[in-house]
Amino acid sequence: MDTVNKREMIAHLINEGEKDSAVQLLLEWSTQTSFKEVIFNVIEPMLTELGQLWMRGNISLAHGYLSGKVAEEFYLMAAGDQEFNLSRIQHRGTVVLGNIEDDFHPLGRRLVNIYAQSAGWNIIDLGTDVTAERFIEKAIENKADIVAVSAMMFTTAKNIIKVRQELDKNSLSGKVMLAVGGAVFKLRPELVTEIGGDGTADTAIGASNLFETLLKKKMSDF
Amino acid sequence: MNSLERILAAVSGDDTDYQPFTLLLSLYGASLNKSDTKAHYRDAALWYKGQRAVIDTFDPDIVITPFSLPTEAEAFGSELVFLDHYGPNVKKPIITELSQIDQLIVPDLETSPSLQFFLKCTNFLSDDFRGNKAIASPIHSPADIPALIMGIEMWIDTLLFHPKEVEKIMEKTVKHFIQFGNELIERGATFLVVPVNFTTPMIITEKIFNHLLPYLANAFRQIKGPIVIHNGGSKLMPFIHYFAKLPNVIAFVLEPTESFDEARRIIGNKLILMGNIDGPGLLNYTKDKAQEITLKILNNRKADKHFIFATSNADIPYDTPVETIQNVVDTIRNFKKY
Repeated sequence: MDTVNKREMIAHLINEGEKDSAVQLLLEWSTQTSFKEVIFNVIEPMLTELGQLWMRGNISLAHGYLSGKVAEEFYLMAAGDQEFNLSRIQHRGTVVLGNIEDDFHPLGRRLVNIYAQSAGWNIIDLGTDVTAERFIEKAIENKADIVAVSAMMFTTAKNIIKVRQELDKNSLSGKVMLAVGGAVFKLRPELVTEIGGDGTADTAIGASNLFETLLKKKMSDF
Repeated sequence: MNSLERILAAVSGDDTDYQPFTLLLSLYGASLNKSDTKAHYRDAALWYKGQRAVIDTFDPDIVITPFSLPTEAEAFGSELVFLDHYGPNVKKPIITELSQIDQLIVPDLETSPSLQFFLKCTNFLSDDFRGNKAIASPIHSPADIPALIMGIEMWIDTLLFHPKEVEKIMEKTVKHFIQFGNELIERGATFLVVPVNFTTPMIITEKIFNHLLPYLANAFRQIKGPIVIHNGGSKLMPFIHYFAKLPNVIAFVLEPTESFDEARRIIGNKLILMGNIDGPGLLNYTKDKAQEITLKILNNRKADKHFIFATSNADIPYDTPVETIQNVVDTIRNFKKY
């Protein structure tokens, strides 16, 4: 079976809500070939395809979530595989990710984590309700290129200003880029600059491109 | 012909003196009233004062009780955040672990301040407008409110992987829907408006939808009045044909990009179609743009007697110029449908 057929088979199982069967099949293929082969040639292209379908409104959020869960489980299994880990040493950059203080809406952030990891980014996920100080502390500790902050609502989005203030206070603005995302930024795009963000993406699948853009901007600044 | 007669004529497919319409101006009452938005969603008398201003200014055929689904979720225990110039939103869902579903209590209509707010507002509208205008009461679908009680991620996860927990929570939300929905009707609502934003193809798969359908059928069957399905900001098609078969459903409010003609092809000619100018979009439309969109919709539905013009999606924003809304109303009033 070629990789296109394998991707179609996994996409079909995801469509049917058969997460465990999809993971099991991926595991079988990885024993026949390797984790690296399955991740690079089946999972990651499939996530990209599904992400694009989701962006166009052709599949549901539940599809996107389920494909992310399949990938997440398989990545955990692959974590102990030396060949796969060696291939991941050269990641595209480090991103500290989290929902801003007082924000308890994790779905978008979790999808960014899955899609960006699959696109080769090293993601440090801090979870929900993260203070500005903690974002910066973790960014310094991990020598992050980007701090990516998620907020669903206007009130919580305003807390992101504190992240910008902390970046300024630590002389990190321009060295660590500030990506922002969440439903409120789709409704009010002007908010991105108002709260000090360097950029945003409309969907989780678009986060990788945003990080790439910000990374180039950062490098051109120095 | 008064407003209620106009709406009833649209239900039966009879001619009306002019195109019946409604606008979602639940929040806008606070704007006309210049009142604090938190107080607007807490004090029924203040909210009603705002609605009187809305009715005096725009005179819609359908008046609408508070459109604040997060406040309904608050009745279950979710924590709200109040925003200046915006409706409240859920800050923190009450359920953070699936095991907590067992402890979830169906809110009591008499003792829940959140539900009392809705019921008192319904009383105010009913006291003044029963028999004269149609009164619509928004209530969250029993299959949607779990997203506000446990957060959308946990709800999707539960739908995908935890069927027993779906059954447990649906048992409670269906019970709440029947109790609360029938009380709204008892207090004067002409019909219920049920937003289904989390039960659409944008959010869930058809397989999940089919799993939820029996719960919806059971809940809708026990409501003692008609039900309008509202897009809630999401597209209804292609699931609209499932909704059309549910008990007591008489109408659909389409999303602004959806086609009335396509909806008619799917559901036939008898059910009412409503919409579909973008309510939140009015904030950024010029008067001319608002008029252009309104006319386009009216012309599209000129021959459709089962049509009620309405704003789609969420509330018309607080800061929308009065002139923009007035231009929409004037365009409807001046339109020669027959």
